[in-house]
Amino acid sequence: MSLKSLDPRVTRLNLPEGEAPAIEPKQELDQFETYEAFHQKKDGAAHTYVGPVHAPNEDVAFLFAKEQYSRRFTCVGLWIVRTEHIQVTPYVGDQENVYDMMRVEEPTERSEEVEAYEIFHLKKRGKAHAHVGRVMATSYQEALQEARKQFGEKGPIVNVWVMKSKHVLQSAEEDKDMWTTIPEKKYREAIAYKVMDKITKYKEEHKTTAS
Amino acid sequence: MYGGGNVFEATKFDNLQTEDPAKLAEFEARIARGEKIEPKDWMPELYRKQLIRMIEQHAHSEIIGALPEGTWITRAPGFRRKMAQMAKVQDEVGHAQLLYSAAETLGKTREQMLTDLINGKSKYSNVFNYPAFTWADSNIISWLIDAGAIVNQMANAKGSYGPYSRALERICAEEAFHLKYGHDAVVHMATGSSKQREMIQAALNRWWPPIMTFFGPSDKMSTHTETLMRWKVKMASNDECRQQFLDMYVPKIWELGLTVPDPKLKKNMETGQWEYTEPDWDEFKRVINGDGPCNAERLAVRRTAEERGAWVRRALLNPKAKYVKPLA
Repeated sequence: MSLKSLDPRVTRLNLPEGEAPAIEPKQELDQFETYEAFHQKKDGAAHTYVGPVHAPNEDVAFLFAKEQYSRRFTCVGLWIVRTEHIQVTPYVGDQENVYDMMRVEEPTERSEEVEAYEIFHLKKRGKAHAHVGRVMATSYQEALQEARKQFGEKGPIVNVWVMKSKHVLQSAEEDKDMWTTIPEKKYREAIAYKVMDKITKYKEEHKTTAS
Repeated sequence: MYGGGNVFEATKFDNLQTEDPAKLAEFEARIARGEKIEPKDWMPELYRKQLIRMIEQHAHSEIIGALPEGTWITRAPGFRRKMAQMAKVQDEVGHAQLLYSAAETLGKTREQMLTDLINGKSKYSNVFNYPAFTWADSNIISWLIDAGAIVNQMANAKGSYGPYSRALERICAEEAFHLKYGHDAVVHMATGSSKQREMIQAALNRWWPPIMTFFGPSDKMSTHTETLMRWKVKMASNDECRQQFLDMYVPKIWELGLTVPDPKLKKNMETGQWEYTEPDWDEFKRVINGDGPCNAERLAVRRTAEERGAWVRRALLNPKAKYVKPLA
């Protein structure tokens, strides 16, 4: 006997009825690696952390993140970074500045060349990390020292993320048109449903028929 | 969308004596100051276990909850409704993605969570073990089940765990459309032909008992519950959520001339509390433990999707990949 459902598509799957044996635990990485996504709400705005995605590679991560985080609300840019490429400082309290609380260690290894690093700050716990700028350095530690000099003075900073610019997959200027259809999809907006008009009309008519 | 129905029974981790008192004091002081907890912070085992369980159940509810409504995409009357229903179902699956990631930051992998769902070890919101017989059932789910979920999620968004709060803020923003869409669909039926009115009333009659169990049984107040409330894991009691839901939505049902199939339902003006027939908690327990009209089908569908997609995931897997927990 196969499973009969109210949904004809489910019935057509011919699934066996009755209890199925337990599945083997899924293998590690069955759901792929993790990437972190950052979006830009409008031109000139800082890229802000939106959340992780799981994907088999950077390009697929970009597609998933585009769908997951920039499907419903306005967006003009998207950055993707493999989670393991991000270096994270300790977290401090909401009134504290992490740069003052930690000893920024002297670089243990330097690369031959100076390269670009992107710096993100978390201003308040529970909120999202936002991009504060780019520094040039020969290592993650040096990038953090540079970040402290350039961006470290402004009020509470709970946590800092540092990543190499070359590890960030960034949408390009000409990619922006992928978000141009968002405002057209009005059926996904609460505002498109004029419920009160219908209720008021119904009540009016109902009153007339009742009296 | 998601219902409470969380039963926060004590676990063996309930013994806080085993926790480092200095770290525990610092953790509690942070929450008392109104600061959020982030994944790298020290946290008591009880906090971690309860949050994993709660966020995981929430994630499973989103993914299973998409099934009864997904059923109606192809049969939704009209192109616009098909588009909207599809957008809503896509949102729900997206919510599951957000929530699985939030739970992962606490140390349970996505693979483990999906295995536990398919093997029936983890629960999801019990209402999704009931069938959506008609388009009107789908409308009632879109409106009232989502309404209940929003009551719950708005409360939990104020909770103390950063990644869960961030996910819930995004989820609540998207749910605003679900609620209006569902309400609009119900209003359309209720103000339509007599046949449409009959259909929506019948669907409401079918769904009312599961809706009343949606927030779970009254909490047994214990030191355990008090601890979880102090830690801002549990933000409101099940009864408080149920009362808030009744307060917000019963008048909206009544104004459409629809009736609620509970002769005892009324607001006691003196206490300000709604009175109602006590839901059938024996049935609730029986269904949540597997013996509901759709439990087997829901899990079979999920299992099939997992099995049939396995070769794609294997083919895409980068052999050098290594798992790192999401950051936040």
